This record gives sequence, C-alpha cells and structure tokens, in this order.
Amino acid sequence: MHIADGYLSPATCAVSYAVVIPLWVIAFKKLKESLDEETLPLIASLSALSFVVMMFNIPIPGGTSGHALGVAIIAILFNPWIGFLALSLVLFIQAVLFGDGGLSTLAINALGMGFAGAFSASFVYKITKKYKFSLLLSGWSSAVGASIVIAIVLGLQPYFGVDVTGKPLYFPFDLSVTIPAIVGSHMLFFGVVEAVFTQLSYKFLVKLEPNFMKGKA
Amino acid sequence: MKIKKIYYLLFGFVLFIPLGLMTSNPAWGEWSEEHYKQVLGFVPKNIEQTKGFNAPFSDYTTSFLGDIGSYYFSAFIGILILFGVFILLQKVAKIEKSKR
Repeated sequence: MHIADGYLSPATCAVSYAVVIPLWVIAFKKLKESLDEETLPLIASLSALSFVVMMFNIPIPGGTSGHALGVAIIAILFNPWIGFLALSLVLFIQAVLFGDGGLSTLAINALGMGFAGAFSASFVYKITKKYKFSLLLSGWSSAVGASIVIAIVLGLQPYFGVDVTGKPLYFPFDLSVTIPAIVGSHMLFFGVVEAVFTQLSYKFLVKLEPNFMKGKA
Repeated sequence: MKIKKIYYLLFGFVLFIPLGLMTSNPAWGEWSEEHYKQVLGFVPKNIEQTKGFNAPFSDYTTSFLGDIGSYYFSAFIGILILFGVFILLQKVAKIEKSKR
C-alpha cells in the first residue's frame, strides 16, 4: 500500500497535503498531551512494532505480497490520533531511509494507513467492545479501511491525465482493478493478519498483565 | 516496571524479521518498470520520469551487509530513530508543560 513518487497526479498530492497537514497539527497536540515518562516507552515501542510488523512481507496467490500495519493496537490502547501520527512517522522514515513509499505521496499514505487505519480500528472497537471478536474485527477493519482509501486514490489516477498518445500519465489501473486487488487482498489476507496481531498483542500486553495500562493517558 | 513486557514483544518480532524476506513477490502496485512494460506495453510517463531521490538504504539493503544483515540493520535503525523522536518530543512536551 506504500504509494511511490510518480504514481499520483500533482493535484492529488496537493489536495492530500492540504487535508493531512491540519490533521497532523491536531494529532501532534494530542500526542504532546499524552506523552510523559510513563507513556513514552509504550508509545515508542508500539510505533517501533508497527515499523517491524510492516517488514514481514507475506506472499499471497497472484504473485504479490503485503503486510499488516500494526496501527489498530495503538488506536485501541491509546487513541486514534496517536495511531495516525505514529504511522505517519513510520511512513516518513520508510520513505526517506528505505525508499518505501514516496514523499510526494506521504500525505495520502498517511491518510490511508494512518488516519483511515487508526480511526476504523477505534470506531469498530468502540461499537463492538462487548463482544469477544471485538479486537479481531477492529484489527481487520483497520487494514481494510486503509486499503479502501489507497485503492480509491490509485484507481482515480487514470482520469487525471493522458499523454499525447492517450496513454495514462499516472497510475494506469482504474477502480475496477484497484478495488478488488487492494481491498480484496486486505479483506482476505492482510486484514486477517492485522486481526490476529491486534488480538495477540493486546492479550500479551493487557490480559496477562492487568496493571499494564495503569498510567495510560 | 510492568511496561518492560512490550520490549520482549518487540524483541521477539525483530528476531524473526528475516521471515519477511522469504517472498520475492512485490506488493500490489509497487512494481518495477519492467512489470508495466510486460503488462501494458508501456510505462506511464510520470512513473518513468519520476526518479525521486536515492534513499540511503533503498529497499532495506545496505552496501556493507548481506540481505539478512541489512534487514536486521534496517529494523535497528528504524527503531532507534522512532525512539529518538519520541524521547525528543517527550522532553519538549515536558518543558512546555512546566512553562504553563
């Protein structure tokens, strides 16, 4: 889901930055409110865990691969704003140091994997809290929510411009291709991985150690 | 301190990180230019012309380590920077709060 430089029209990049910057400002304020000696190790470790989880590339049928995001657990244990900002920071490091995802596309990647991922997770967790499957569904929804944003933005690119010979200038496949490929694969595979990761890491951190969340903001 | 538990979790995941190298399948949409040539017969102009910048550890590789070593190195660098940034932000937040 890491969209590379060159894939999106300049208009798409400009609009996505205009949308993401105010959201980053809000998230930054929320983070500074929550961040203290107590929460620092937890927030930093969960962000590091997200970075590491994304390095586990999982092959799927059809010759492609993907990975979980590790965003749902941050959104559930803290709040979605912190999940969104943590993922944005992870995506920035991936782009600058490892060439994984672009810088012109950082805003859209952050809106998808960060914002949509974190807020889908926390919304679903809130409304299904009573049920046993709540963590699984919340993790699954975060990956699927993120994939919907990325698939729509990529799938709209063919309409943004063609060269003199009529060939698309930017990402060439439209929604009829991107939705099944990206959203479908996240519903069937990577969302399931995120679901299991969310459930297991939550149990590991909270259920085995009920005092773990004491001092959480 | 109870919170230590999360370091075990993080360490456990990092330990098994070479598993992430087992597939050579690219992520959907993160293809090389050859892939576009094969599938479409051309590379979309903006994708072809945008070279971006040279990331120092492009694709999680380094010039001085093998594949697995580079992957561990990348994880280490990423984690180090993330902790560094959050420690810095916490210090800034603390100063700001004390001024209020």
